[in-house]
Amino acid sequence: MNGAQHILEAFHRHNIQTVFGYPGGCIMPLYDALVDDVRVEHVLCRHEQGCALAADGYARASGKLGVCIATSGPGATNLITGVANAHRDSIPMLVITGQVPSALIGTDAFQETDVLGMTLGIVKHSYLVESADELPGILDSAMQLAQSGRPGPVWIDIPKDVLLAEITTSPFTTPAPPQAECPDLASAIALLRASRKPLLYSGGGISLAHAEDSFREFAECSELPAVVTLKGIGNPGKYSAHNLGMLGMHGSRAANQAVDECDLLLVIGARLDDRATGRMDGFAPNARLVHIDADSAEINKLRRAELAVRGDLNAILGELTRALREAPLAINDWQKQCQNLRTTGGFQAADNEEPLAPITGPAFIRQLSRVAPDDTIIACDVGQHQMWVAQHYQFDHPRHHLTSGGLGTMGFGLPAAIGAQFADRQSTVLNVTGDGSFMMNAQELATIRRYNLPVKLIVMDNQCLGMVRQQQELFYNNRESQINLDDNPDFVAMARAFEIPALKIDRTDQVRRGIETILAYNGPMLLHVAIAREENVWPIVKPGGSNKEMINETRRCAADKKERVA
Amino acid sequence: MITDRSNVSPSYTITCRMNHEAAALERLCQVVRIRGFRIEKMAVETTNDFLDIALTVQGTRHVTMLQSQLEKLHTVAEVILTTPAMMPAATRSA
Repeated sequence: MNGAQHILEAFHRHNIQTVFGYPGGCIMPLYDALVDDVRVEHVLCRHEQGCALAADGYARASGKLGVCIATSGPGATNLITGVANAHRDSIPMLVITGQVPSALIGTDAFQETDVLGMTLGIVKHSYLVESADELPGILDSAMQLAQSGRPGPVWIDIPKDVLLAEITTSPFTTPAPPQAECPDLASAIALLRASRKPLLYSGGGISLAHAEDSFREFAECSELPAVVTLKGIGNPGKYSAHNLGMLGMHGSRAANQAVDECDLLLVIGARLDDRATGRMDGFAPNARLVHIDADSAEINKLRRAELAVRGDLNAILGELTRALREAPLAINDWQKQCQNLRTTGGFQAADNEEPLAPITGPAFIRQLSRVAPDDTIIACDVGQHQMWVAQHYQFDHPRHHLTSGGLGTMGFGLPAAIGAQFADRQSTVLNVTGDGSFMMNAQELATIRRYNLPVKLIVMDNQCLGMVRQQQELFYNNRESQINLDDNPDFVAMARAFEIPALKIDRTDQVRRGIETILAYNGPMLLHVAIAREENVWPIVKPGGSNKEMINETRRCAADKKERVA
Repeated sequence: MITDRSNVSPSYTITCRMNHEAAALERLCQVVRIRGFRIEKMAVETTNDFLDIALTVQGTRHVTMLQSQLEKLHTVAEVILTTPAMMPAATRSA
């Protein structure tokens, strides 16, 4: 068995059935081995960035390891944005690249790049395989490492001669994961009981720890008022009575105000990202912080915790639930106060009742949320539409909301939707994108067509880079610079060129029919939604500002809108 | 970011043991730089399969943050802060 065949055997042993890749010179031995292996489904994307982002979407939707493959040189460098995206959001990913033969490394050989060196900062770990006998152990270690603790991408760079070499080493045996132990939570529980205004703050770490059910049980049992980060959306579920929604730069006034007023912040699986906290010296000024996370490096990184607990979130949440079930918290006044905040300071957007009126982003997303099935997975891109989805779509599970949180990668959504559809063939998968983001990985329409994936594409087209335009309007004296996209292609014709049916809507009375049409279609379909260029995301906190300084809808749009309270 | 509040950038001495793998030192140096410190002095010795590294670094951020980021590196076996530094609140871990 050569190195390439050994990789496929490792995939099989680790129950990896789907990989995303693009062939080329130095990785050809692996593609040759794939010809004879029917156990691994290889998805051929049209750009290596698409491969990495599809593997990312697959991992987010399934909770399993995402795998992407490329050749050396440009194949590897094209992966980088997608791998960085996975790294910033702690997505479990295995990256395999071919490298020039060992003897040619360092000679500036054709398609040689120092992949190990240039990717050090965007991986959890990386390996350059220096001899064939190392390969089996590295493969098993890499797959285990990518998924353990705080997950992340692990990159294996493999010289072509290693892929071709016969390997005699016996396979590495993966040790069983250690039994999760629960740390002593007496101090945390005591702090909770002493608090009159405790607030639950959760992030993407809940899903990374596969602790969604434990978290929901804890949230329901404790009845703690709760806020979520962008990646925590869906954690408490859309029916949670105590969920105040997303906090932060585009968070709800209710969430930001609750953070401002609470006296104890129970942070679980979140890293206090600047987009969520705003300026740190104005963040939760009255609160003691209890920080629970799997990664000890996140503790005290940005704000000192009164108490830090590191460990397995499932075990910790289970123990907290048991403690609070025995003796519930007495926080009725605070709960009522937060209920009032929720009523007056939640995300609201008036449905436009004028049938011929232009479509607004928030109203469209609210309608989508009402019509789409409960199991719908939405892969967003980055920009205004991303925030409208976060604000106005009612998610019932965090794995239904795929969004590029840390890196903010335009072009994420379409390949991520492809990955999600491979992860879950039965669910409805939507890519909600903007006209800027859509054009960044539009080549992957060919992948959707090739595999006849029933992904639905919704392009919210305001003919500009809306989020940049918005910030130029608000913070740069309305000096628009390089945001105009009014020469966009005809998106309907473009989709049809890939044999994907498409339709365009631009009036309020077409919204429901348009959404129902694409959802009912048995196959991929694109909905081109023309929206107003001047629409902004409200509220907004100026970058670097405090969350207390939220800016509400004002200025020129104010007269056009009815009763939109942030 | 939690920073040291003194006016001058303090120096810290760190000893670190890493697996002797490809790019081990690059990884270490990159973490030091990205986390806001400058290397003033560095000595490396090879012991069997390990690299023993003595580092003197300078920076205004809290050095225990650098320590915990170095400990996250998969190939790092041990990080010891030999210059005393104020420790943040205790962490209870599983």
